[in-house]
Amino acid sequence: MNLLLARPGLRVAIVGALALALAPLLGRNGIMSDYVAVLIGEAVVLAAAALSLNLLMGHAGQISLGHGALVGVGAFTTGALTPATELGLPFMLAVPAAAVAGALVAFVIGLPALRLRGLYLAVVTIAFSYAMFESIFASEQVGGGSAGVSLPRPQVNTFLFTDEADYLAILVGLLALLWLVDTNVTRTKIGRAFRALRSDEAVASSFGVDVTRYKLLAFALSGAMAGIAGVMVGHLKLTVSSSVFPYERSLLYVVVVVVGGLGSRVGVLVAAAFYAFYPIAMPELFGTGVRGYDVIIGAALLVFTMARNPGGLAGTIRELRHERRSERARVAAEADAGVDDADGPALPKLPNMPRPASLAQRPEARGDAPVVEADNITVRFGGLIAVADASLSVPRGRIVGLIGPNGAGKTTLFNAISGLERPESGRVRLLGHDVSNLGAAARCARGLGRTFQNIGLVKDLSVTENLLLAQHTVAPYGIPAALGYAGPTGRIEDELRERAATAISGLGFERYADTQVGNLSIGQQRIVELGCVLVTAPEVVMLDEPSAGMSPAAAENLADRLRDLRDELGRTVLLIEHNVPLVLDTCDELYVMAGGAVVAHGSPDDVVRDPVVVDAYLGGALT
Amino acid sequence: MGEVVVFGLIAGGIYGLFAVGTVLVYRGSRVLNFAHGEIGMMCLFLAWYLVTERGLPWIVGALAAVALAAATGWAFERVVVRRMTEAPRVAVSVATVGLALLILATEIRLNGDNPRSLAGPIGGRGFQIAGVFVSPTQVLALLVTIAVAVGFATLLRRTDFGLGVLAAAQDPNMARLVGVPLGRVSGFVWAAGAAVTALGALLIAPTVQAFAPGAFGRLFLFGLAAAIVGGLTSLQGAFVGGIVVGLVEAGAGRLFAETSFPGLETLTIFVLMLLSLLLRPEGLLARSGGRRPA
Amino acid sequence: MTAASAEALLTIDGVDTGFGSSQVLHGVSLEVREGEIAGILGLNGAGKSVLMKVIAGVQPAWAGTVRFAGTDITKLPAEARVAAGMGNVPQGRQVFPDLTVEENLRLGAYTMRRRSKAAYGPALASVWERFPKLYERRTQLAGTMSGGEQSALAVARALVNEPKLILVDEPSAGLAPLIVEDVFATLREVAATGVTMVLVEQNVAAALRLVDTVHLLQTGRVVSSGPVGELDRSMLAARLGIGRLLSATTSAALQKRVGGSGARSVSPKKPPVKISAAKKSAPKKAVPKKAAAKKAAVKKTAVKKAAVKKSSPKKAAAKKTAAKK
Repeated sequence: MNLLLARPGLRVAIVGALALALAPLLGRNGIMSDYVAVLIGEAVVLAAAALSLNLLMGHAGQISLGHGALVGVGAFTTGALTPATELGLPFMLAVPAAAVAGALVAFVIGLPALRLRGLYLAVVTIAFSYAMFESIFASEQVGGGSAGVSLPRPQVNTFLFTDEADYLAILVGLLALLWLVDTNVTRTKIGRAFRALRSDEAVASSFGVDVTRYKLLAFALSGAMAGIAGVMVGHLKLTVSSSVFPYERSLLYVVVVVVGGLGSRVGVLVAAAFYAFYPIAMPELFGTGVRGYDVIIGAALLVFTMARNPGGLAGTIRELRHERRSERARVAAEADAGVDDADGPALPKLPNMPRPASLAQRPEARGDAPVVEADNITVRFGGLIAVADASLSVPRGRIVGLIGPNGAGKTTLFNAISGLERPESGRVRLLGHDVSNLGAAARCARGLGRTFQNIGLVKDLSVTENLLLAQHTVAPYGIPAALGYAGPTGRIEDELRERAATAISGLGFERYADTQVGNLSIGQQRIVELGCVLVTAPEVVMLDEPSAGMSPAAAENLADRLRDLRDELGRTVLLIEHNVPLVLDTCDELYVMAGGAVVAHGSPDDVVRDPVVVDAYLGGALT
Repeated sequence: MGEVVVFGLIAGGIYGLFAVGTVLVYRGSRVLNFAHGEIGMMCLFLAWYLVTERGLPWIVGALAAVALAAATGWAFERVVVRRMTEAPRVAVSVATVGLALLILATEIRLNGDNPRSLAGPIGGRGFQIAGVFVSPTQVLALLVTIAVAVGFATLLRRTDFGLGVLAAAQDPNMARLVGVPLGRVSGFVWAAGAAVTALGALLIAPTVQAFAPGAFGRLFLFGLAAAIVGGLTSLQGAFVGGIVVGLVEAGAGRLFAETSFPGLETLTIFVLMLLSLLLRPEGLLARSGGRRPA
Repeated sequence: MTAASAEALLTIDGVDTGFGSSQVLHGVSLEVREGEIAGILGLNGAGKSVLMKVIAGVQPAWAGTVRFAGTDITKLPAEARVAAGMGNVPQGRQVFPDLTVEENLRLGAYTMRRRSKAAYGPALASVWERFPKLYERRTQLAGTMSGGEQSALAVARALVNEPKLILVDEPSAGLAPLIVEDVFATLREVAATGVTMVLVEQNVAAALRLVDTVHLLQTGRVVSSGPVGELDRSMLAARLGIGRLLSATTSAALQKRVGGSGARSVSPKKPPVKISAAKKSAPKKAVPKKAAAKKAAVKKTAVKKAAVKKSSPKKAAAKKTAAKK
């Protein structure tokens, strides 16, 4: 029994089954009146709608102020499919149909989201929902005009599902389904990809997350859930029309999700129950004089939540719990710092991660081709040429440095090689294969790992979660399987967790496993970032200013770790660095860029004596 | 055609005024104040109470209304926005949604759904242009919009305080470090944005004839569309955007006059907004490579 | 020297601060005297930048006091501290990228222009004189300039307000070596005019060549502080974790400045003012008159060209307005 309860899927299934059995039983025996059943039903449908918004806004960070329109799409779909005269069968069809309709419409709204972010997306979604309610839903053809569309309670036969309690059972069952889907999203690579999107899209794609695909997936999934919520609402209200269902409804969903706590299922459920019940409870408790203050208090609560703690209910609780943990982490960190007082904290050894079994499909290197080759890359931003016809080649097992003044185009060239930037012309080859037409995620899957100047980690996730996210490309289960947590999903997830744990213990970071990355020092973050790159066993590691923000001691330590990478782990390294002594100490070859072009190439000793380089870059740094 | 232009200009002036209010707040704090529509409505209720119910002169009601709006904007900045300096801007915008709901609920609580009305500042029958009756208030609205847009643009570019507003929008922490009083700058834009919106509400009241809680959602969203067409940071752009939205709306109204399908004008404006976001996010007036107009 | 110089220009006493439940600074105390270049050094995460934020007023102190020019400013907001004579050269992207060079400077003089618009003209003129390159680019958007030019603008923006003290936070962060040299050359020039400066810097070699006193921070506590010439060389190297890699440049700087003759080329040798970390009460002796006078003389010659007297900005400003009339 214990084992059964430990699995979230089973837990949800048990709750759903209990509700399905219990609600009609209570209704039939007169324990639960119709009034109460409808009331609970209101809370359940509000929770379902809020859950769909929570997936989009809370997990994937895509704000929508127009989710009511998607719920409306579901409601009007079932309205079209369930003519008032024909009872029975269509309800079973209405649920998937509304899910599909919701997903399609949401997908279309998601398209501008590929270009628009944050506030702009908020504007588009709110305007969209307003236009839907003013136009499409208000029309005779879709919304049934001012009379609206009437929707009967679903009925299977004359015995089952005849009263309010029976319908409540169906509602709870559907909510359990949505809950289960959301649970599966959060515990698989889908949820991790969403959270990475929410935090930083560039970071997400460097982890191999296909940003376009997952953004649209978030919209479509959320739309499908909203469609189902629409079916639930429609059959509860019995009539849906544009005026019964105003666009301000969208704002209520936002209130519930934000007050409950973005991304928290339980928080959303509690907030939904609160917002559904208290307008009724207040007059009961304090007399009818307070009627009408309900919305005022609800809105005030939202404003208060935002001002006090944007994390909402769940955020507050999480923070309280977290405070104790971070205090412990800090004490530990201080103890660390105290130990090697004089030498500064040493960087740990890097873990040697074998290639994961699932990486079999990675194309093998062609002969002894250089690991990375960039030919005649040109990148232009508007009128400005950031990289001008630059070429470089990184042979296997070498540490190659890329230096040059600020604005020389080093990072842009990095971006072009790793696929974050589309060059105007030029080719990129990885292990001898032309990857010029592949995106960043695909190049990552083919063995290119990179770090970022401002640290490519998801700062609000823990070390473990970042390491799991880093394995996005080596988690070979499909999205449908993940949604059902079916097939190999569970087994592969277990493997990923094991690898993450191995990497963490390899770094000696066990005590920080659950610490949010943003709370670590810059030096520690760089180490975690390196761990994330290594956990996928890349062929080449590209590092963008790894020593920036490190103390001299840590930088020196970094040099040893870089040599380990080459000598012990057999990796190839391409390195951008301003720390000239570090570069001279570690690199086998150096490229120098200035004004977008490669101006020098050769052994470090030759390069630093090159007058061009001294003039353009080094100045008197070495004298 | 002439009819479309006149209708477009009349409505466009008001959209422009709402857009200026939105742009002011956005420039100063990179937040969209979704409560502007409801703030405008609340101020109309105050003006209605003072002018229609109590028989005070229009100007008294108007001044009280604008003052209430400014006070509301300022107080919201003080109590909520200031605590959220570290929060993402989207979160602050969501908080303004809460403010909108709060005001809406308060209005309904105090007033119910009863429609109210408020006369314009200038009486008279007005005159006909291209077959459309134009009231003096509608002409005034257009002139006020131009004056407000130009006035605030000058203030922002020419004065130190205005420069402080621009700086605070780009990097609030750095603005403080050079000595810009951030609290005052932020309070000013929130108060000014709300006040301008209230002005717009007062000037459109005689045209809409009757108003009730929540009825300005459309006006606010069209104003937002106007601000976006103008590039969201440009005050002149907001005015021009208002005119564009007004003209497109009037044109669409004419085009779809025969169709029975509802709300096609709204749908058209939504498409206009989407297109300008996707194709010209920097706004109509932005010169390529140059600086955005103030 | 006036009576005010008996007290240090900036006194930090027993400051605690942190974020949420984690404390970052533990009872930090230090003093910075007028005309002094104070360097705050330490390893990563020692709390250097946080201390800087406390001084600037953007991070509240949980406990302790900050005194500046004779008044307690612990509760004063950042902008009021700027008005009182503090200038900031913040870390990171340092300028307002969408404003022109001239507008950046006008913002820098925000508090000065509120007091008196007339003072701004001469102040700006002297900045143009010191930074002729900026004058050439005065109508350019700051964001379109190179990293080095932006750093220069950030320094100029702090100077145009004629501050008594400027806070410079990691000026070398993320800059190429050549530009770091440029930036430090600018700072040296500024230092030569006698402005008091507090510098936080990761680049130990560059910092040591500039500063007069060093305050060494470790895990949020001042572990050592005093004139750079009196510091123990090996202790400093050990505390800062300076080893093999950086020895070329840093050890040169260490040799030249630490424990040796701690003299800057432009200023005469500092009197040995011992500043203890734990108790600020220790040395309240004024700078010996002879040395101070000598220093002032040097200052004058150095500054002649710049036409700005840093010793008393108010007086200088008044003089200028008079001259204008």
